Amino acid sequence: MTPATTFVGSPVSRVDGPAKVTGAAVYAADFDIPHLAHASIVQARVPAGRIAAIDTRAAEAAPGVLAVMTHETTRRLPWHPRDPRPGVDPKAGERLHVLQDDVVRYDGQPVALVVAQSEEQARAAADLVRVDYAPTAARTRFDVAYARAPSEATAKAGRPGDTSRGDPEGAFAQAPVRVDVPFVQPREQHAAIEPHATIAAWDEDGRLTLWDKSQWVDNVRTEIAHVFGLAEDRIRVISPFVGGAFGSGLRTWPHVTLAALAAERVGRPVRLALTRRQLFTNTGFRPHTESRVRLGAFPDGRLTAILHEATGQTSTYEEYAETTLTPARQLYACPNVATRYRLLDMNVNTPSPMRGPGAATGELFLETAMDELAHALGMNPLELRRANLAKTDPDSGKPWSSNALAACWDQAAARFGWADRPRTDEARRAGRERIGSGMASAFYPAHRAKARARVTLYANGGAMIQAATSDMGPGTYTALSQVAADALGLPLEQVRVEIGDSALPPAPAHGGSITMATLGNAVANACAALRETLGADGEGDLTPALRRSGRDSAAAEGASSPGKEAQEYESAAFGAVFAEVRVDPELGTVRVARLVGGYDVGRVVNPKLARSQCIGGMVQGIGMALSEEAVFDRHCGRVMNANLSDYLVPVCADVGALEAFFVESDDRVFNPLGVKGLAEIALCGVAAAIVNAVYDATGLRMREVPVTPERIVTAQAARGR
Amino acid sequence: MSRYLRPGSIDEAVGLLSTDAALRIVAGGTDVYPSLGEAAARAAFLDIVRIPGLRGITRENEAWRIGAATTWSDVVRAPLPAFFDGLKLAGREVGAIQIQNAGTLAGNVVNASPAADGTVALMALDARVEIAGSDGRRVMPLGDFVTGVRSVALKPGEIVTALLVPDRPAKSRSSFLKLGARRYLVISIAMVSAVVDLDDAGMIAEAGIAVGACSPVARRLPALEARLVGVPPAQAADVVLASDADVLSPIDDVRARAGYRRDAAITLVRRTLAACAEAAR
Repeated sequence: MTPATTFVGSPVSRVDGPAKVTGAAVYAADFDIPHLAHASIVQARVPAGRIAAIDTRAAEAAPGVLAVMTHETTRRLPWHPRDPRPGVDPKAGERLHVLQDDVVRYDGQPVALVVAQSEEQARAAADLVRVDYAPTAARTRFDVAYARAPSEATAKAGRPGDTSRGDPEGAFAQAPVRVDVPFVQPREQHAAIEPHATIAAWDEDGRLTLWDKSQWVDNVRTEIAHVFGLAEDRIRVISPFVGGAFGSGLRTWPHVTLAALAAERVGRPVRLALTRRQLFTNTGFRPHTESRVRLGAFPDGRLTAILHEATGQTSTYEEYAETTLTPARQLYACPNVATRYRLLDMNVNTPSPMRGPGAATGELFLETAMDELAHALGMNPLELRRANLAKTDPDSGKPWSSNALAACWDQAAARFGWADRPRTDEARRAGRERIGSGMASAFYPAHRAKARARVTLYANGGAMIQAATSDMGPGTYTALSQVAADALGLPLEQVRVEIGDSALPPAPAHGGSITMATLGNAVANACAALRETLGADGEGDLTPALRRSGRDSAAAEGASSPGKEAQEYESAAFGAVFAEVRVDPELGTVRVARLVGGYDVGRVVNPKLARSQCIGGMVQGIGMALSEEAVFDRHCGRVMNANLSDYLVPVCADVGALEAFFVESDDRVFNPLGVKGLAEIALCGVAAAIVNAVYDATGLRMREVPVTPERIVTAQAARGR
Repeated sequence: MSRYLRPGSIDEAVGLLSTDAALRIVAGGTDVYPSLGEAAARAAFLDIVRIPGLRGITRENEAWRIGAATTWSDVVRAPLPAFFDGLKLAGREVGAIQIQNAGTLAGNVVNASPAADGTVALMALDARVEIAGSDGRRVMPLGDFVTGVRSVALKPGEIVTALLVPDRPAKSRSSFLKLGARRYLVISIAMVSAVVDLDDAGMIAEAGIAVGACSPVARRLPALEARLVGVPPAQAADVVLASDADVLSPIDDVRARAGYRRDAAITLVRRTLAACAEAAR
């Protein structure tokens, strides 16, 4: 019997909101650990080479300095291989063995670490470390001529070099209407407001505790166990709150190892907080990716060929690859599809997943090309999408567990007023500005993973939910509270959720939009198990049953893992995004006046937080379309704007009216809770809709983001010639 | 280790400066502290914001005196004649409100960033810089004071005590426009400030136009200013020529290329003049 639903589906406020606004929420760097020392990284200033000499004498003599660690003075760590590798790690290459050799692989790589009594003393002394380099040739220019196919391991992980179904080249050659669209998406940074930080403390028995900013505490524990050759039960990782991450907290980065090494060296707990500049080169980023999309269609709009090639950058030491080409294979019905993915090894730090990894990029490429195709066909871009709805997954032939994309298109178009958009030059004029309208589809595959959760019910009516998952902002604390309150028949405020601690029941990465479909069901199962243990009925307050049993408390665990639906169905979140822009042709500035997004994300656990998630994705999409680019100088191999004054995330003044809504959807095939996952989908399609709207306003095909004022003006000048 | 001194008078400040040339003068600190980067502060600092009489705007004879510790928020909130509107608009673009509450106009000038929003507006207003040193006080035009990128004509031991803005006729209007790659909280690609004084017939009697972020130091456009005399304000924008940008020497950088900067500056000049005309209606 289905339990009565009270809280799931209600727009309750964040349960962790008061703690966050009052400052009571403790983030990784905030933990007040006695006898804390502080570490500061010295970064390489060449993109490739060897450390010829390193002089630490001045740093060692500086006030407060406890230790200066270099590759010459740091003990060799085992760095055991991970087998299998965690899903968030590249499938080939080897992670950066920090301070283990004299090789410089990228500008910004840690080459020394200073530990001091205070953070200021550590930074001052780090400035005194003199490093002489013997530079070697570096690949700092993105040149597809040097690109290569991904390794077999990467291909097996859903990032194949070459795929083909049907006769793509033949169908494209025969297609009555064709477009061939190149596109460039630059390196982007996660730019979360909380910088990464780790506090490491060893106890007298050699046990290590890490307070770390992480989306996956279990993996930090496993990774550090492998790096140091420790048993996992010797390590505990604590990360109760995460101040935004967007994927930067999925992997375990070298600074975590450095913090543990430093604490071991000085025999005291050590805090290592990365500076904003260091975040650019000591965590990951969305890789620079260049693309070519070729589409062939019949005059009625039906696609007959999709050929999508993309080349992404990776580092010289690890093979990071994305699912950039998945949308080309799955989003639209098309019999003839080829994809070709290549990688370019460059002297950069390894990229990493950033919100909507692969999909957000691939859909920017695909959906701007679809817009070009619509215009080549003389067809309404919305009608072109409708003509190519994939009623089953076109790649595997499997049915969708649910797919309400058509409803997203229809309802978002209606709310936006797509049918009444300005269509003539005259209607598009608003003073000196030009109005433009554009749209794009959004798609992000839904998955779930194995997890456990524990519920403890107390006779006083309080309940505790525990799992080693995370809440980087989307609302895990709140949503799990809602699920548990319903399942236990308790008021929301009587449920406490404890997450972000590797001592809790195991959970997968808090990424890939899998958390609710995974943990939500584990929590529901734990509560059901408790109900069974107490011999209670299918619904209502469970506390009386506990009291009847005479116990003070009772606990149960529940598990959740993908079932046979994962083999029999394809699952994905869908959406449709419509954008209205105002372009100032003289200056080239683009203002996003309105965005309307309609989403199929399965059941919506919390409409308030879901909307918040979606408008956050829209703002990030405005940044992707108009302003965000880590400018990489190919002469010195360095990010030139490694700060928030020139790496431009949108500010409120850049954001117009945002409307996000959810179409009717409840995917009980995918999982019993009916959710599909809501995080990545919110970024997908936004940038494409904006770029397409810019075309509508100006007639300019912008094939590189961000669409900066200068690029608009340059494109206009090129057209005028 | 750094020292942090807080003198109680200009004389004391000048005295301290004469004994230690390495002292770095700090007011709001909104440029000084970021410029230290990620290294620890090794400089010694001379904090002038507590010096009595250094904060505030007063009218003295034919000029408005803006004390060296006067913040952007002070200016934005002050009841001032309309010809200060351009300066106020610039003040609203200097970082966020928190920055405007701490940052000073004099600091914006002394920091001598090519992208200083305040310097452009002050330059259009013919502002002068009042300087105190062990030899007494001197005053020099802002255009001479800022000598290059991060370079000003302060001698060792000297300190800026005020900015002096000449009074203008009642029928004077000004405006300011800034262009960045996002709408707000951004270092300028280009910015323009203009002031126009109108004669009794409503024609432009005098104009001051300055362009920033397009040369090492903000530049006035004297040829354009001369052509504007006698022109009705509503037609002022039409008088602007592309060649008016010839005095600029923009560079390519991470924010924009030189050619775009030059073109954008001219567009901004036209729009700033149109805004002045609108204000004069």
